[in-house]
Amino acid sequence: MSGRRTMTMFRISFRETARNYVLVGLLIALPIAFITVAFAVTQDAQMPIELPIDGETQTVMRGLPEVHGVAMTPLTSTIIAGIVGLLLMQDARNVDGRLVLAGYRAREVILARLGTLSVLVTLVTVVTVGVMAYDVRPEQPMLFVLAIFVVTLLYGFVGMLLGVVFDRVAGLWTILVASMLDIGLFQSPLFPMGEDTWWVKILPGYHPMEVVFDAGLTAQPDTLVHLGWSLGYLFLVGTVAVLLFYRLTGGQQTSRLQVIP
Amino acid sequence: MAEKLTIGVLSQIRSFVRDPVTVVLAVLLPAIVIEGWGQAISNMPEMPTVESVPIELARIVGATLGVALVAGILGLVMIIGARSADRRLVVVGYSPSTVLVSRLLTIVGITVVIAVINFGVLSVNVSAEAPFLAVVFLALSGVLYACIGVLVGAILPRLFEGSLVIALLAMMDAFLSGESPLAADVPWWVEYFPLYHPKTLVQDTMLDGTYAMGDLLFVLGYLAVLVGLALFVFQRTMAVEGRWLR
Repeated sequence: MSGRRTMTMFRISFRETARNYVLVGLLIALPIAFITVAFAVTQDAQMPIELPIDGETQTVMRGLPEVHGVAMTPLTSTIIAGIVGLLLMQDARNVDGRLVLAGYRAREVILARLGTLSVLVTLVTVVTVGVMAYDVRPEQPMLFVLAIFVVTLLYGFVGMLLGVVFDRVAGLWTILVASMLDIGLFQSPLFPMGEDTWWVKILPGYHPMEVVFDAGLTAQPDTLVHLGWSLGYLFLVGTVAVLLFYRLTGGQQTSRLQVIP
Repeated sequence: MAEKLTIGVLSQIRSFVRDPVTVVLAVLLPAIVIEGWGQAISNMPEMPTVESVPIELARIVGATLGVALVAGILGLVMIIGARSADRRLVVVGYSPSTVLVSRLLTIVGITVVIAVINFGVLSVNVSAEAPFLAVVFLALSGVLYACIGVLVGAILPRLFEGSLVIALLAMMDAFLSGESPLAADVPWWVEYFPLYHPKTLVQDTMLDGTYAMGDLLFVLGYLAVLVGLALFVFQRTMAVEGRWLR
């Protein structure tokens, strides 16, 4: 019974999101605008880049278009996922509390929303990596896809957290600025800023982006420790997001109990 | 007439300032964009065939982008406000031309303020050879994007969707039009992007104190077309019962 209700809610939530023409437009336009254009306009030169090879950080030469393409893929996916997370949390604020009042359990609603987020993040990962693969293949495809999925889901949760604090427009700008700075600037080897400082290392993009560049530009995995840290970070942010989600939806049940004489 | 115009301009400024998001954006974005863009482009590693870009040039592109972003949002906010209010103002006796002029004055006035803020942030690290002209050309790029904001708002009359479109448009525009060693193989049609010539004007006045008349004429022509389209869109928001009120 509970599983059926969760599936019904998931289907409704997914259909509702799929009907959002902004998200559909972003999913189609942004990968082409960011990733394909990046390949098209970047000049064909070799650039020095620091990468983990055989357990050591070495400076090697890689094609500028390849490095740019690998850098733009997570930037694109995190912007879209952040907006998805933000909209999901906004919907939760508007709708899910009423569902709980109507008899749904908070955990059913949350499971359905998390299912929607996971499916959309998978879709975003497939589309962005697919668009990138048209121009360049990552050296370690499976690890690359996993790293993109992790950083995308992480930003989906970050979007959810922002949805608790900000309204839609403020949340949108915060997501844009956060993704641009964290993924597009601080973690990108295109714009090295010297030795990474402690505050760069605690940003959500640090560990997964180490894996993204390792998997995208080297033949052997050397950043599995970073993958572990990424999963830990994901678990932490996901837990906080779920707890806040629970407060938003489950809170309605408490107020119902309070008004019944 | 003058009193109604003043009231119109003041109320529109108040409605823009009342939204905390726009105020925070207007104050914070210049610092983030100017320094972010500047540091990013200037920190690229040296490459044999790629010419490095001085940090001043990258900061100037950042300032142009900063003005464009906030002015674009301003244009969007104006057209959304116009849809809900201007028709009523016309019905209660305001002349359409007064409402129209007050909207345009508000856009130009706030854009100049945004340009001054961006110029102020830029001046911390880059000294200007011709500061007044630099502010004027920054404001010109802002008015261009404010008109684009109006046009986007005519098609997508929602703040969330519209500001997303403007943000992505402006960022792509600045990336392709600006000084970036990454985007070196840009196609010829990028010259027709809204920020391409304004960026050149700001850059020339900041660093050399001069500018090319060809760039200025191009920007003015571009502006004339966009202002014409924006006026048409604003006028349509004032149509009452299928006709224009006089």
